[in-house]
Amino acid sequence: METNKKSRIKINGDKIVLLAAIVVVFGLFTSLNKNFLSVTNLINILVAASLVGLVAVGHTYLIIAGQNDLSPGSVAAFSGVMAALLVGKGVPFGVALILTIGCGVLIGFFNAFMVNRIHLEAFIATLVTQSIIRGFAYIICGGKPVSISNRTFLILGKARILNIPLSVWIMVICIIIFGIILSKTKFGRSVYAIGGSMEAARLAGLNPKRIITTCYVMMGILCSIGGVIFAARMNSGQPAANVNLEFDAITAVILGGVSFIGGVGNMGGTILGIILIQSFNTGLTMVNVPSFWQFVAKGGLLLFALATDYLRKQKRERDLLSASMKNL
Amino acid sequence: MGSVLEFQNISKYFPGVKALDQVSFQAYSGEILAFLGENGAGKSTLLKVLNGDYQPTGGKYLLDGVEKHFQSPHEAIEEGISVIYQERQILLELSVAENIYLGRMPVSRMGFIDIRKANEMTEKIIEDFGLPISPSTKVKDLSIAYQQMVEIMKAYSRENLKVICFDEPTASLSDSEIESLFKIIGKLKEEGKIIIYVSHRMDELRRITDKVAIFKDGRYVATVETGTVPEAELIRMMVGRDLGDIYRSLDRKKVIGDVLLEVKNLSSDYVKENSFILRKGEVLGFSGLVGAGRTELMRAVIGADEVKSGEIYLEGKKIRNRSPHEAMEHGIVLVPEDRKLQGILSNLSVSDNMNIAMLDTNSNRLGFVNGEKEEELAQKGIRDFKIKTPSPDKKIVELSGGNQQKCIVARWISTNPKVLILDEPTKGIDVGAKSEFYHMICKFAKEGLGIILISSELPEVIGLSDRIIVMKSLRITGEIAAEEATESKLLSLGMIGEVQE
Repeated sequence: METNKKSRIKINGDKIVLLAAIVVVFGLFTSLNKNFLSVTNLINILVAASLVGLVAVGHTYLIIAGQNDLSPGSVAAFSGVMAALLVGKGVPFGVALILTIGCGVLIGFFNAFMVNRIHLEAFIATLVTQSIIRGFAYIICGGKPVSISNRTFLILGKARILNIPLSVWIMVICIIIFGIILSKTKFGRSVYAIGGSMEAARLAGLNPKRIITTCYVMMGILCSIGGVIFAARMNSGQPAANVNLEFDAITAVILGGVSFIGGVGNMGGTILGIILIQSFNTGLTMVNVPSFWQFVAKGGLLLFALATDYLRKQKRERDLLSASMKNL
Repeated sequence: MGSVLEFQNISKYFPGVKALDQVSFQAYSGEILAFLGENGAGKSTLLKVLNGDYQPTGGKYLLDGVEKHFQSPHEAIEEGISVIYQERQILLELSVAENIYLGRMPVSRMGFIDIRKANEMTEKIIEDFGLPISPSTKVKDLSIAYQQMVEIMKAYSRENLKVICFDEPTASLSDSEIESLFKIIGKLKEEGKIIIYVSHRMDELRRITDKVAIFKDGRYVATVETGTVPEAELIRMMVGRDLGDIYRSLDRKKVIGDVLLEVKNLSSDYVKENSFILRKGEVLGFSGLVGAGRTELMRAVIGADEVKSGEIYLEGKKIRNRSPHEAMEHGIVLVPEDRKLQGILSNLSVSDNMNIAMLDTNSNRLGFVNGEKEEELAQKGIRDFKIKTPSPDKKIVELSGGNQQKCIVARWISTNPKVLILDEPTKGIDVGAKSEFYHMICKFAKEGLGIILISSELPEVIGLSDRIIVMKSLRITGEIAAEEATESKLLSLGMIGEVQE
């Protein structure tokens, strides 16, 4: 009993495999380029991971709840452009940020509406949003990047605390807060419950539609914040930015042990998944793998993630069968 | 020259259940063999093992002495084994001929599908069967009965058809449709097929089957010649236990109080205008055939299905349950029939499952869950309900069915409900756990809860209820006081809609 309680933060077999994969990736790229393990580069990896990290937090919730979201890349790009436009028109940065996040909230509601009310598959529903919002990102700025001159806005991309960029701090804080919400609160528990079985959860007195809506709205907010920070780093809001963002985030989450069957996974795994995918991406660039081949490599990584997900599922079923036979 | 189908020590385990346990017997061609057993006895599982839908955990099956390992129903069909299910497995947008020859349509020399030839071949089968339908009719334009015939013809059109199984084929057929189905089954029998017929309806078994194979709790009990053994004896074999003692040992002394719940003319998309009352301390049984609307009525009561019209009064006050959550807040809770999909949260632990309805109570204003409160509640539930689990942190799916069910009951009892609705609470649960449930139900009633017990096991409803309501075709057809209830009265109310003496 004692050990059971202590092992709330579990370092189980899956996590060890993931850690091993991270060690292998680090070892491999360091042997190819010594600079890979330098402090500057490690910070670069974290900075590059900051946007993917925020989106992966949202995906952790959504995929555990049995949902998905393909719109984050568009939403992030749209948010960057919108915030840049607003401050360009003289709107104070704080107000611009709030308005942009407000749009993220609306997009979240729209996704939830399609899933809950029109009963579309999450995959298809958010594909619709992906296209619509990408379109709006181009429309509002006429297709041209919007450069940023507002100082407060730019500080968001440049400021460092303890030599670590603000964007990294924001990601870390979000991961911690949302990690705690997922594991310690009523809402977190409800997310797991509806991911296991929506009807059972509803009959147990939960409100699945409301929980799903909350998850999509959360994702909208995270994408907006991430997109604004990204624009600050780039000094401009770019309508063509962040394509395939969701791809990296979903790969990270699945690598981290969240399963497409729903109801399984945790934030700890997602953290490792983010580290793995971003060091992999940065490493490929550092050792000069042509960007076309990087797409192929990323696809391979997602395939690897899905394969481990499948093997884990099989193992769970086997363990379950043998465990339950003992109890008969 | 006849074929033989032989099962040798077939076992099939699922998490928490031995669905089939060392089943061995033979079926011969030119005979109609019935499978008889309670729900969960293993009949349907055995059919699914036979047609490759499930892979057996142990044992083997042989057709004409040759061992078979079907990986999918498709492979089984290729080798001449077909199962006709309750749910139609045909494509509604295609024609009769296209369905029958799906995936093996005759082709012309040019490689095009030869629809004319397919229609001709189909016409021949239709004539054999003596049906008034055309090969080119779209299946969606046919009645349910004819759709089923199309399925049978599809199986029949395979020249190597050896085994054909029917799983509750008459469930949705009218009397005259049943007659024509029987005629066709008779024809298949004459042609020397091995026929397996699963049904709960005794009169059908008596009419068309030659032998009855009896199953109980996943085990094969015996095969008897139809008609040589009285029905009471068959039932005793399939139940295999005298539950009389269990019921007699129950402590049923209690006070039945005021009206607790009154349901007036309640309708949803699935049930029509039903009214009943439930008193404090009362166990109200709901009897009827599967599909009579009992589950659907209760789903409307707790707001799981939308109420279209009608009223619900709780302790004299009118209430509305727009969701199971609202019903829970009013103190009306349901333990659903489909434990696996609607009861347990299969990805979560025993403790989480028991605490899920108490999340509001167990968390502070910020939404943080108090782990100690949860642990306490889980330990209490495990103690009170004698749940066999190594720890509250075990996944609920690792427990046996009976213990899973106890967790669900514990979940609701901790919310202090007024009305506890139990939908087939002992389905697929072993005898020991059943008797525990019975004592539990009596205890709750004694404490003043109103209990609604939906059960298809007649002795169970009669043995536990104070009053029994019978439903047929989505409506309440009658009500009997427990002391006057007999199995035959309940059955005739449930099957005919009135008591015939």
